[in-house]
Amino acid sequence: MIAVTRRRPELGLLFWVAALGITGSVAVAAAEVAGFRPQQLVVPVTFVVIAFVLHVFLAARGVRGDQLLLPIAAALTALGLVLVQRLASNLLVQQLSWTLIAAGAFAATILIPRDLTALSRFKWTWALLGVLLLISPLLPVIGREVNGARIWLGVGTVTFEPWEAVKILLVIFFAAYLEEFREVLAQTQRRFGPIPVPPVPYLVPIVAMWAIAMVVMVFERDLGATLLFLGIFLAMLYLATGEVFYTLIGLVLLLVGGFVAYHVFGHVAARVDIWLHPFADDVRFGTGYQLVQGLFALANGGLFGAGLGNGMPERIPVVWSDFVFDAFAEEVGFAGALALLALYLLFVYRGMLIALRAPTPFLQLLAGGLSFIVALQTIVIVGGNARLIPLTGITLPFVAYGGSSLVTNWMLVALLIRVSDLTARVRGTP
Amino acid sequence: MTRSIAANIRGLTLAIAMTFLVTSVGVGYWTLVSGDELNNDPFNPRLVAAIRDRPRGFIKDAAGNTLAESVQVPDGYKRVYRDKTLAHATGYASFQFGASGVEAAYAESLIGQDPGDPLSQWRARYLRERAPPGSVMLGIDPKVQQAAVAALGNRRGAIVAIDPRNGAILASVSWPQYDPNRISDPATEDAAWKQVIADPDKPLINRVTEGLYPPGSTFKIITGAAALESGVDPNAKVRVDDPWQADTSWGSYFVRSSSRAHGDYTMADGYRLSENIYFAKIGLQIGGPKLAEYAQRFGIGSPTHCDINASKGQLSRTGVLDRPTLVADTAYGQGELLVSPLQMALVAAAVGMGGVMPTPHYATEVRDAQGHAVRMIAPGAIGQVIRPETARALTTMLVGAVSGPGAFAFAAKIPGVNVAGKTGSAENPSGTPHGWFVGFAPAEAPTVAVAILLENSPRGGEDAAPLGGRVMQAALGR
Repeated sequence: MIAVTRRRPELGLLFWVAALGITGSVAVAAAEVAGFRPQQLVVPVTFVVIAFVLHVFLAARGVRGDQLLLPIAAALTALGLVLVQRLASNLLVQQLSWTLIAAGAFAATILIPRDLTALSRFKWTWALLGVLLLISPLLPVIGREVNGARIWLGVGTVTFEPWEAVKILLVIFFAAYLEEFREVLAQTQRRFGPIPVPPVPYLVPIVAMWAIAMVVMVFERDLGATLLFLGIFLAMLYLATGEVFYTLIGLVLLLVGGFVAYHVFGHVAARVDIWLHPFADDVRFGTGYQLVQGLFALANGGLFGAGLGNGMPERIPVVWSDFVFDAFAEEVGFAGALALLALYLLFVYRGMLIALRAPTPFLQLLAGGLSFIVALQTIVIVGGNARLIPLTGITLPFVAYGGSSLVTNWMLVALLIRVSDLTARVRGTP
Repeated sequence: MTRSIAANIRGLTLAIAMTFLVTSVGVGYWTLVSGDELNNDPFNPRLVAAIRDRPRGFIKDAAGNTLAESVQVPDGYKRVYRDKTLAHATGYASFQFGASGVEAAYAESLIGQDPGDPLSQWRARYLRERAPPGSVMLGIDPKVQQAAVAALGNRRGAIVAIDPRNGAILASVSWPQYDPNRISDPATEDAAWKQVIADPDKPLINRVTEGLYPPGSTFKIITGAAALESGVDPNAKVRVDDPWQADTSWGSYFVRSSSRAHGDYTMADGYRLSENIYFAKIGLQIGGPKLAEYAQRFGIGSPTHCDINASKGQLSRTGVLDRPTLVADTAYGQGELLVSPLQMALVAAAVGMGGVMPTPHYATEVRDAQGHAVRMIAPGAIGQVIRPETARALTTMLVGAVSGPGAFAFAAKIPGVNVAGKTGSAENPSGTPHGWFVGFAPAEAPTVAVAILLENSPRGGEDAAPLGGRVMQAALGR
């Protein structure tokens, strides 16, 4: 028998989300030449209904714990829909369908598995599945290459980016693996002078992960996935051990790999050169065109932006997936961009809070790793858009157009809420 | 002992927060700090959007003739250029390929946001209001421009005429031309762009401001100025024996005289007969640092402060004159020197104006939609680059170089007017020497200074001098 919970703060916040989604959609429509038409309300209203249904679903299931994650994720998704309407309105219905699927995946993850801690028992299954998914785009027939990166699976017209699922599988695997070994390791810690010598159970996965990441970079030509892959691993290694030194080893390996790749592989060198000299004459009209147009958009943003619908995001190629952040910042300015970053930071903060309170190391590592995914993706893509680091094909979580990303991110939210729920039950808090 | 996971979570969260902070600062830089520079980038489509979505302002010459205007087409506006001979001055304004020339330099003025009108800029930036576009007036004098166009014909090269009193550019021709209408028309821009980019003659380059050539003998004006101000007596006789080398350490390297001369030369003779060995010798006498200093004073290797894009030129590849042969070669205008025709016109203007070099500018005024002046473009002089008495002495010798006995530049003569000038034949890697003429008139109180550059001209400076005469004559209204 499940007791129904009251999730009042969540409900209250969802009204703000509804206001955001609907006013945003109306504002964008009003700024267009055709003007606002009532039928355009279908998309935001549908989404608002989805969000409220998810809330009711959680309450009816008696889910306890965090009540901020759902509204934050919903706000970001609503913003994403507004931006897809603004930047690529022909993809809007498709994005709404993906939102529906994402909501379904969220609900399913709340229900299955019944026992969350059971996930850790099948860790090698997740690892194997993850690696298979990771290399699957390299297979003939189902593997697809998009914009030079071979990271897609396709059957007919439906395409999926397996990497998106891999990142969650990885976090589950790492959480289980590191939980198992951290106790053993606490006693067998050896030092070589001030330098801790990584015991074999750490050393092996560090090298293995690095090797796999390099394979991704070389054969799938995806810098973003490489960075995320290693980043997640290093962050979780740090969470488990507290050894900054291991992270440093990983970073050094990344830099060495990156340096070699820069000199050996054209696609890596091209990305770095664009980053270093986007305004050089031979770059700004060629490979660097996208970044330069993105920076123009940012520069036009100023403090309060041009207003929704008044920017020129259409000059940025593939703006709806790679450069949503710049397009957003042009129309809402630095103030709006800061607000968006604050929303992400709040999400990560809530996720880390859940990790902090979780009752077992596995759950702590799981929640910490999942929150870190959102943080790292945000930093990597916003940093790429703002020319702080080389641009990669990472998506802006919840906001950028893309189905696989939206579905897995909502599953990530569900997992965090479940950890929080479990914690509340163990501790007897609401 | 490993730390507790909870402590690690706190550490990681702190690190994430710091990274978010850094990222926010980065975003703040691009949105708030870089704004002015990027918003005015000629390739920023936001500036160029005005070409397509709204009429852009007029560009007019000094007589009020329209050179560029926006005309309505089915899906917006496109730019139309009335005078192709001024293609490089007006530039183009393409939605895809950005803008050049005055279209780029005065992009804000042409969309009603002139920097001289802070209110319109403020309204555009914060209220997003747009004033109707006005016009940018150029100093181009149609009479002088037509004379320059006729003089150059279809020879590769450049002609520029400047008013030495205020720096306004009176005529500016660069050949070969391109058609800015085709680059600015969405229907033809792709094909037109491909074509001009592939053309080996590089028609997009404004040879007046961006073309870089060895100055040849025209550079002797600068060498002479440096020598006069270093205490060299212009009347002292210098022995010239062709071929010449300072000492045997030069090996097989000799400075050659174009007239295979043997004799004793004063500085006036050196100008009149354009004697390389004379200037090589006095160049070595005053030394590399002095010569470099005067080249720099005359703006070689430094920004010209022109209102449209212009090259800096170069003194030498390293920026210094550190070898005797390089000093000697530079002194008569070869070596590794590179200058633009505009830079040489400014050298002539400075000598004519008693040593005061004007700041060159194509535009003279920005007007609003009602025709009222928003801003006069009258930049102050770049500065006093040589002493007035030096300039007077040089002027006398340059008049002699045009009208003295056996003068090389005799063809630049204008009846009833004292013309000062200097020809040059510049050896260059592409074969036949380039022909130069720089000069100003009337010599005692000039109202026009010119530079003529003919690429690979068979008779070098001899071909260029008469063109200089014709253009100056048009400017003097004779």
